[in-house]
Amino acid sequence: MSPADPSQPDPPSGQPEKDRWPVLRDHVYDGIQEFDQPLPNWWLWTLYLAILWTLTVWFWEFQIARPLNLAKPDGQRVSEAVTEVKDRQAAHLTQVLSTLDDRRFWEMARNPEVTARGQTTYENICAACHAKDLSAMMGGAKLPGLPLNDAEWKYGGKPLDIFRTVTKGSPDPTKGMIAWEPQLGGVKVAEIVAYILSTHQPEADLTAK
Amino acid sequence: MNPVQTSVEFDDRTVRRFLIAMLFWGTIALLAGVLIAFQLHRWQLNGKEFGGGEGIEWLTFGRLRPVHTNAAIFAFVGNMMFAGIYYSTQRLCKVRMASDILSGIHFWGWQFIIVCAAVTLPLGLTRGKEYAELIWPINVLVAVVWVIFGLNFFLTLKRRNEPSLYVALWFYIATIITVAMLYIVNHLSIPTGWTHSYPLFGGVQDALIQWWYGHNAVAFFLTTPILGIMYYFMPKAAERPVYSYRLSIVHFWSLVFIYIWAGPHHLLNTALPYWLQMLGVLFSLMLWAPSWGGMLNGLLTLRGAWHKLRTDPVIKFFAAAVTFYGMATFEGPLLAIRSVNALSHYSDWTIGHVHSGTLGWNGFMAAGMTYWLVPRLWKTELARPGWANMHFWIGLVGILMYVAAMWISGITQGLMLNQLSDDGSLKYQFLDTLKAIRPLMLFRAIGGTLYLAGFVMMVINVWLSVRGREPVNGSIRVVVETPKKPPFWKAIFAEPVIFPALAITGYCLWFLLPGLYAWGGLVLGLDMSWRTVWLFVRHKRKWTAWYEGLLENWAPFSLLVLVAAAAGGMLQIIPTLTFNRAANVEDRLQIVPTPLELAGRDIYISEGCYGCHSQMVRTLAPEVLRYGDYSRLGESIFDYPFQWGSKRTGPDLAREAGKRNNTWHYQHLMDPRALSAGSNMPSYHWLDTQKTDLASLPRRVAVQLQLGVPYPAMTQDEIRQRAIEQGVGIAQDLRKNGLYVDPESRMVALIAYLQKLGLSEEVTPPERPMGAMVPITAQP
Repeated sequence: MSPADPSQPDPPSGQPEKDRWPVLRDHVYDGIQEFDQPLPNWWLWTLYLAILWTLTVWFWEFQIARPLNLAKPDGQRVSEAVTEVKDRQAAHLTQVLSTLDDRRFWEMARNPEVTARGQTTYENICAACHAKDLSAMMGGAKLPGLPLNDAEWKYGGKPLDIFRTVTKGSPDPTKGMIAWEPQLGGVKVAEIVAYILSTHQPEADLTAK
Repeated sequence: MNPVQTSVEFDDRTVRRFLIAMLFWGTIALLAGVLIAFQLHRWQLNGKEFGGGEGIEWLTFGRLRPVHTNAAIFAFVGNMMFAGIYYSTQRLCKVRMASDILSGIHFWGWQFIIVCAAVTLPLGLTRGKEYAELIWPINVLVAVVWVIFGLNFFLTLKRRNEPSLYVALWFYIATIITVAMLYIVNHLSIPTGWTHSYPLFGGVQDALIQWWYGHNAVAFFLTTPILGIMYYFMPKAAERPVYSYRLSIVHFWSLVFIYIWAGPHHLLNTALPYWLQMLGVLFSLMLWAPSWGGMLNGLLTLRGAWHKLRTDPVIKFFAAAVTFYGMATFEGPLLAIRSVNALSHYSDWTIGHVHSGTLGWNGFMAAGMTYWLVPRLWKTELARPGWANMHFWIGLVGILMYVAAMWISGITQGLMLNQLSDDGSLKYQFLDTLKAIRPLMLFRAIGGTLYLAGFVMMVINVWLSVRGREPVNGSIRVVVETPKKPPFWKAIFAEPVIFPALAITGYCLWFLLPGLYAWGGLVLGLDMSWRTVWLFVRHKRKWTAWYEGLLENWAPFSLLVLVAAAAGGMLQIIPTLTFNRAANVEDRLQIVPTPLELAGRDIYISEGCYGCHSQMVRTLAPEVLRYGDYSRLGESIFDYPFQWGSKRTGPDLAREAGKRNNTWHYQHLMDPRALSAGSNMPSYHWLDTQKTDLASLPRRVAVQLQLGVPYPAMTQDEIRQRAIEQGVGIAQDLRKNGLYVDPESRMVALIAYLQKLGLSEEVTPPERPMGAMVPITAQP
């Protein structure tokens, strides 16, 4: 019996549907037949729950949370998160700076452990534009950065000036370096500065122009 | 009229042709994939290692990636689908294809399109939209050939000698109608010449339409036709009845209706309005059960035939393919959750996900179908059954290796990029993450190579089997009856259509309307849902009989499929087209690019830079810390096409302007590793010697104006003059650092563009017009 035959009466309700399955449908398509199994319950419930979930979430988001300002828009949420991280960065920087002055930098520059760490970071990141030998030249071609092995310091040649330039970037970023502190943090920048200083004589040739 | 008995000979020649084309293009698609996979591990494979200087431009990743994706989708799966559809449709309709001429035009037209694509894409001729890269004359060809295919198919349905439509045909109908709709809308463009055009939509509108298309290319090109093929070939091979006719109905209609809505899940956490993101997330979740319905119906059809799994390679391939389908469609909704997507998007995880679909589901279905068809189409036996077995195992190991490598790679990179040190600084540079996943890129390429090896075994096996054999066409004897057809409108204006349609209309109004109107929509939706369920329970038999009647009436059936498939896209796209325009965006408006910057942008697109670089800082803290402030809608509103990207093999470029000087960009493009040790970007040295196409620039600017980009009034000469002047400025700046560059070179144009990325002006958002969307889109 085809369950699709509308002229047939519904089966007596007392008889559980399960006992009548599987019913093989009459129609044969190019030798292919079809059972008319009921849908697996767990599958049906997955579908129902997903639909219910959609209605609930939409109702919550757009009927309640947003109109009543219970949920923060993405832009606000991310701005707050970023502000929090930036505060942390600033606090850290202040802390690093409070322990640093020009004299301390020169001490660090004479500490081989510190300069070795600084050199590693320098060669990973700074050497791209300033060259491994600080000359900002590679194979006769000029690299994007300024040379760091001469006495000319565009943004000030005191250790703290150099530290500021690396952390904050050049005053006009379209012409010069980006700020590296968000990427590296104060300690790493200080190590890099110490490494650069270690290739110079204390105060002798670091002139601001 | 008295029934007439007649004999029908099927057109199996077309099937054989498509099958052979599938084997040929499948090999090419996989080869291209393996090559570019190795390039990611070792960039020198862009030609440098075969004596091509610093690299050959048409062998670079950016240009070959669209070759690989288009070949895999349209050439490999396309030809496979046509072979399967032509074979099964004729048998399910008990009639020969309507027209041999149309079949011929379809076959040769499609192959011609593929050849055109294979030539133009490596030359850098592209529209710059993923899986929609082909230039506009080829688009027209594709549309025409597709319509011819559709015509041939529907005429065959019309003439069929089998009154009822089998479930495989439902899926074919959905494929033909929906792909036509998606393809045409996403390819609307205005030409600037024979090989170049700008798409009709820009910025967020283009993003939404592109992923409506891109996501549903997966749905209606890589899924529905293959499900149809599964419904025909699986029970044939297993010699068992299909598990459940009811499941077929429920999962078919829910799949066709829900799939379309899920496109925005490709744009989560971006500048896309929040309500669209939520639709993408929620509908992806609802899509899980309909997808698994297909898997269940496939796998459970094997009940009683599991013993064949040991001996029959066809069943082996089908069972594995359907399992991969289930895994991929489980992973999909997972990746569409916003927090998971924050980690996975732009990473290799997504790439692994699509490959478990294409290699596992499409590729293995193709293999199973081939091994089943070849003996029947040439009346022979498989020459090397052992090889088919070997193909299965080598392919399976290949996929698993590929997918595992991509999971690890994607998650590793995602976690590294998000990690902050105690002091609040980013723990890893982008390059650090690239170095970390480098070994995994090798594993992935090896996995792909294994898969290719298996595929080649199949090609050889087929050749050995059919060599010297006579092709055989199937035939049957049929009784031709004049079918009794219920009237067209009676089939549509029936309770089972009207009530669900009203329910869905109610929910759509709820999604769209503001304030109290929304409540009205919700009430209508809930009320009609309840009535639908109640009527169904009460009139189960009547509804079943109605559906059986519908199955004998292909025209209303197809119309209902069209409506179901079109609904979601329309609801998302039309409001976006009307409300998210330049005049009505958030607080920032993109500065219109100068003519030279526009030329640079076209070069950026032509080289396929968007394949590896996004231009979208998502609303995620680590991303803002790394790249700068999150992207606003208005900042890409004049981008035709949009460049938000879908994968970051390199860093995001949305805020590249001014971060580095011209010298850096020049040297980086000439030799990326000089400035970024460990980078896998190819050298773009040819840009230094090639001239920018300034002659066509006025036409391009004119089309941009037509599209609504507010260029100032300029004569043709002024446009060229301004471009040259800006180029001279950049060249002079480079000369200060001892670099002598032709101011009219492509290099200079590209640098001009890179130095412009992310420049915008602050604007006061206008008062939003009253009406739909207000409370929803007002959320930044």
